Amino acid sequence: MPKVIFVGSDGPEYTVDATVGDSVMAAAVKNGVPGIVAECGGNQSCATCHVWVREEFAPLVGPPGDMEDDLLDLAVAERRETSRLSCQIRLTRELDGITVDIPPEQP
Amino acid sequence: MAVLRKDINELLTQTGPGTPMGELFRQYWIPALLAEELPEDDCPPVRVKLLSERMVAFRDSEGRYGLIDEFCAHRGASLWFGRNEGSGLRCPYHGWKYDVTGQCIEVPSEADNSSFCQNVQLTSYPLVKIGDVLWTHMGDAATRPPLPEFEWVHVPAEQTYTSKRWQQCNWLQAFEGGIDSSHVTFLHSGGLKTDPLFKGAKGNEYNLNDTKPFFEVADSVGGLFVGARRNAEEGQYYWRITPWVMPAFTMVPPRGDHPVHGHFWVPIDDENCWTYSFDYHPVRALTETERQAMIDGHGVHSKNIPGTYRPMANMDNDYLIDREAQKRGETYSGVAGIAMQDASLQESMGPIVDRSKERLVPADSGIIKARQKLRKAAIALRDEGVTPPGVDPAHQRVRSAAVVLPQAESFLDSCRDAVKVTPGVAQTSV
Repeated sequence: MPKVIFVGSDGPEYTVDATVGDSVMAAAVKNGVPGIVAECGGNQSCATCHVWVREEFAPLVGPPGDMEDDLLDLAVAERRETSRLSCQIRLTRELDGITVDIPPEQP
Repeated sequence: MAVLRKDINELLTQTGPGTPMGELFRQYWIPALLAEELPEDDCPPVRVKLLSERMVAFRDSEGRYGLIDEFCAHRGASLWFGRNEGSGLRCPYHGWKYDVTGQCIEVPSEADNSSFCQNVQLTSYPLVKIGDVLWTHMGDAATRPPLPEFEWVHVPAEQTYTSKRWQQCNWLQAFEGGIDSSHVTFLHSGGLKTDPLFKGAKGNEYNLNDTKPFFEVADSVGGLFVGARRNAEEGQYYWRITPWVMPAFTMVPPRGDHPVHGHFWVPIDDENCWTYSFDYHPVRALTETERQAMIDGHGVHSKNIPGTYRPMANMDNDYLIDREAQKRGETYSGVAGIAMQDASLQESMGPIVDRSKERLVPADSGIIKARQKLRKAAIALRDEGVTPPGVDPAHQRVRSAAVVLPQAESFLDSCRDAVKVTPGVAQTSV
């Protein structure tokens, strides 16, 4: 069971147990992690589940897809190198311990 | 709240001189007027405002078209009051006269041998008739592309019809309606059954029966193909393919053998636009009945106040909304006519809709893609001088299509020929 660590913008950390195959967004929502709004429910049309993936996990997670890339450009206030929509990161065993930062505001 | 950042909304909606989107629009030939607005030599000049620039269009004694700065170089009077005579437009204030290139050719107060007027030149843009439309290019003459090659203005005159309407909102929200297939099942459900230019096609049944279209968006060289997939018979999908050629040309997928329609959305200023609406048939003349229906404001056309391009149903009379017809289901919104159903809702959003408050859904993927392409093209032009997609006339030779395909087939792979212009070959339609 992979663990996911969410780091809130003002400091608090949330470590949650997630299920392989779930998205990082689903792991946050199921555990009530604040700051992951996920308004569209994982349909890649709102960008309110934006996270910054910590450097060490970025290569494992890979780059955003085409539509996700557009949304990150159009909607997100501060897009960084490792910005992803957490609904598009599928959890695997290799991603155990993945750490993501939650931006101070969602679109 | 979600999706479009405020700064990007401003980038995409502002088209005045010097703005990134304004410069983008100035790379293209765009419709400036209908040819019917300048019907004969020496006819009255017409005020034209495009991309927030005020100009006057006229047709001189030799049939040459001109689009020049609206205001006389002398003391700024409007040349709309001008006398169009003797191969030029003369300001009625003090008689200064200009030719179609904006060159001042006479300043009566000056001595006969004075060269004063040679140094007086108004801003001017080319004005070229292709089909029923007078086109202009408001950018740098040095990078002026070849003339447009959209099929609708190149088929013989008897096969095509174009109208226009003044729309009281920013161009982008009007244009976005043109690539949004999912509203048709609702807003235009009445029209699919009754409009003479829409009804009777087999495809309409699929359109009405499946309210949850799935969208697939594919890049084209000049813009996008937006594919809307609905269920058809067992094992098959009904696809409606809407092409967008940048910046603002869209086509509606055809229905049966009805003429094919589409739009060109042209910014007047940031809070108004012209919606050019056309119908054409690639291989046959429009019938008298079809042409009359278009003149009467059916299909994508509007019934305008005579002598103007303002729709009779407009925001000042609540678009003549008929709540009883809405209740009876004759019209879904109570507003009559497909054109005004669209325009009423696009205008209802306000002059420039605040997209930071919208909530998009997967059915809006065409809109997301289009905004991104516009943004990228405007920035690439501004920062690196990159010529945007759609400027090359080859990019403009596209068609819409409506097809039924086996579920396993990709819409674009199966429709490569259908979405290309092939002279002498009819549209691909269901």
